[in-house]
Amino acid sequence: MSVSTVSKDQFKQFVEALIRSDQRVVGVQQRNDRFVFDDLATADALRLDYDVTILSPRKYILPQKEPLLQFAAGESYTPVHEGAPMVLLGVHPYDMASINQMDQLFSQDEYDSHYMNRRQHITVIACDVVTPSENVFAASMGTATVEKGYDMLLTDIGDAYVVQAATDKGKALTNLMPQARPASEADLDKCRAVQEQNQQKLNQHVLECKPSYLPKLLEKNYEHPVWEEKARLCYSCGSCNQVCPTCYCFDVQDEVNWDLKSGTRYRAWDGCLLEDFATVAGDHNFRKNRSDRFRHRLYRKGKYVPGKIDGQIACVGCGRCITACTSNIANPVDVYNQLMKRTDIG
Amino acid sequence: MSKPRVAIFDFACCEGCQLQIVNIEEEIIDLVGAVDVVEWREAMSEQSHEYDIAIIEGSITRPEDEHRVQIIRTRAKILIALGACATIGGVNKMKNNFDLNEVKRCVYGQDAGMPHLATTTTRAVHEVVDVDYKIHGCPIEGEEFKRIIRDLLLGKTPFVPNYPVCVECKERENVCRYEYNEICLGPIIRAGCGAPCPTAQWRCFGCRGLVDNPNVDAAQEVMEQYNLTLDDLKQKMVLFNSK
Ligand code: SF4
Ligand code: SF4
Ligand code: SF4
Ligand code: SF4
Ligand code: SF4
Repeated sequence: MSVSTVSKDQFKQFVEALIRSDQRVVGVQQRNDRFVFDDLATADALRLDYDVTILSPRKYILPQKEPLLQFAAGESYTPVHEGAPMVLLGVHPYDMASINQMDQLFSQDEYDSHYMNRRQHITVIACDVVTPSENVFAASMGTATVEKGYDMLLTDIGDAYVVQAATDKGKALTNLMPQARPASEADLDKCRAVQEQNQQKLNQHVLECKPSYLPKLLEKNYEHPVWEEKARLCYSCGSCNQVCPTCYCFDVQDEVNWDLKSGTRYRAWDGCLLEDFATVAGDHNFRKNRSDRFRHRLYRKGKYVPGKIDGQIACVGCGRCITACTSNIANPVDVYNQLMKRTDIG
Repeated sequence: MSKPRVAIFDFACCEGCQLQIVNIEEEIIDLVGAVDVVEWREAMSEQSHEYDIAIIEGSITRPEDEHRVQIIRTRAKILIALGACATIGGVNKMKNNFDLNEVKRCVYGQDAGMPHLATTTTRAVHEVVDVDYKIHGCPIEGEEFKRIIRDLLLGKTPFVPNYPVCVECKERENVCRYEYNEICLGPIIRAGCGAPCPTAQWRCFGCRGLVDNPNVDAAQEVMEQYNLTLDDLKQKMVLFNSK
């Protein structure tokens, strides 16, 4: 790990150089009164002081719709792999944590070459949070700061950034920062202070147990009044799935051309809250009730996915679902705390 | 194998959905290559009683229309309702909110009693005859129309979303209108349009009709959270989703 410091002016020159390079550069920008990840045209458009983006960087890691293969008449087909080099600039620690989880999920068991190929071409420049969003609770989930996954991490220490280049890709980027100087002890102190503060501050909703307790809490509460109390107001609109950085379910569909023989197979985002998500052959829907689907999402975050990734909870506390849910029922902390209240921890 | 014969008919509508078909431009050649269009008043002069697929645009508002669509049904193997007027009755159904005689007097004045102006309650096509497939929207989406037709030609059940507009609205990274305390019909209306209205910072007007299983029970409580009322919501439903 090489740690250096660049002034904000020098950093701007770095971003400009990056934009001029042959990589696609995607960074956080303002759109109306919110923030989004989008292609970066100028260094001035970059807003590393943002609170949260509407959609997470998942839209670049696992696109909303991606071609998997092209088929022709008969049995022949050609797999499609996307993999143009891209820099993702301004990923918050909680989103980095979600990318780390997806990297693990898509590379273990059945290795997903579509995902992994794209992922290997993406360079992630993460940044510590400057402005907490109104619903973030990353501090409760242990994701207010992050130790791995990024190629480079930036921490805003006022008039400068502390820059940690963690990988070869990250170190190569420091070549575009010729004026960077080795970080001083004072800079490192400031950097640690920001991170320690974030571990307290990013906590607008306080989970009343350790995240590691969630699988057990859920196991005891498959039948619980809270599922129906909340789901009663659920529109099955899937907004909570769409905005979530850790939702990775997709649906596979074929689109044929006018010759009615050749075509493309795509995969597109799906969501477990949608009415037909769990409909299988023969039109059988094994999660027909709103409350079953509502419960499934929170089980998935707190129990099922953790079972596949060494106990890591698949909710990183970004708070996006809380903001996105029209019915105001999607807050995971609220549900988990209600379960806590009525459960003997034992 | 001979190509399937397709006939396109219009009833009470603005013909905007047929225009969307015309607007698929170069691909219209592909379409005409894949099927035999045997009747289409807007685009050709021939007429035919022999067809496999009947595409119906518009809603049923007159006694003779009812009769005509019934005959079309007996002749067609597959009947498709095209556009909001046909799938849900569309804007034409607004008239059902008023006394029919009043409506006639208001629209036709002194001529209201003329026999060719006889008009009844507006109905969607499926309220008169069985409909096999619906292509939603006011107007329809060209891309969706092409995909559905190709799937039907392949003998595959076309995918039509049964999830709300919010899915596509979120995909386009919009801020929900409700965050500004504005009403939007998105949570109960069928997607497939790509949410152009909320993307343009309008509400969804509901032109694709309700999803199969809308959570209408939630509406009152949810509206109250935004200082809105159920009546506010119902008012917005009148345009496309009158009874
Ligand atoms: S469940 Fe909600 S808070 Fe947790 S990661 Fe997903 S969107 Fe963020
Ligand atoms: S966002 Fe809210 S209303 Fe929509 S599916 Fe999720 S929990 Fe239900
Ligand atoms: S659905 Fe709309 S565009 Fe289509 S015919 Fe009816 S009014 Fe016109
Ligand atoms: S603006 Fe409308 S369509 Fe979009 S998320 Fe909100 S309610 Fe749904
Ligand atoms: S957003 Fe609503 S009104 Fe607009 S096209 Fe879609 S369904 Fe129709």
